[in-house]
Amino acid sequence: MHDPDLLSRYNYDEFVPAKFGPWQRFHESPPLGERSPDFPLWDLAAKETSLSEELSNHAFTIVEFGSFT
Amino acid sequence: MNAIAEQFADKDIGSIFLYTNEAHPAEYYPHLTSMEQKLRHARDMRDVLGVARPILVDALDGPCHRSYGSMPNMSWIFDRSGVPVYKSDWTDSYSIANAIEYFVGTIKRRRAGERIVPFHVERLDYRTKDEFAFYDGLERNGPKAVREFREAFGGPK
Repeated sequence: MHDPDLLSRYNYDEFVPAKFGPWQRFHESPPLGERSPDFPLWDLAAKETSLSEELSNHAFTIVEFGSFT
Repeated sequence: MNAIAEQFADKDIGSIFLYTNEAHPAEYYPHLTSMEQKLRHARDMRDVLGVARPILVDALDGPCHRSYGSMPNMSWIFDRSGVPVYKSDWTDSYSIANAIEYFVGTIKRRRAGERIVPFHVERLDYRTKDEFAFYDGLERNGPKAVREFREAFGGPK
């Protein structure tokens, strides 16, 4: 079950520092060299996969995070 | 980034785009409220920007994105077992290409019988800053995106 407050804060509705600033947490991201958390993901046909499943397909995988906007 | 994915595809290098929250929501592409909308925005991005890499979508509340630092356009490189070997708070094709060349080299060194072990290195890379192209992208989202970014950081127009 999604937390409605988290949903609205993460999917902020306007680009103002008070709303986007709290999400810029790169300094808190997982360290290199240690196995990192796995998460479910979905392809564009809404078929579920996972980060670990995708990473297992290649010696190395580049993951670019982003959005249309 | 598409070109890098193609260039290294035959060297056992994968490349994916992981769709997150909307960084600059506006009139034409507002903030996300459902997975259906998120998938629709991701398909539009693929079609308009020509993203040829597989696109995978995070859950609506962004647990994967948030866990990895939730920057709007960061890049990571992972090995097959899920261990991150490179992370960058911004995506720059020169930096990625440079890093992946190095990691392809480690595959070759291991295959040649060299015993190698990891170590940590820090480096400051340099990305292209094209404000006009960036503002063109904001205009695609809608006037609200341009106005809000200009209010937050100023701009060339």
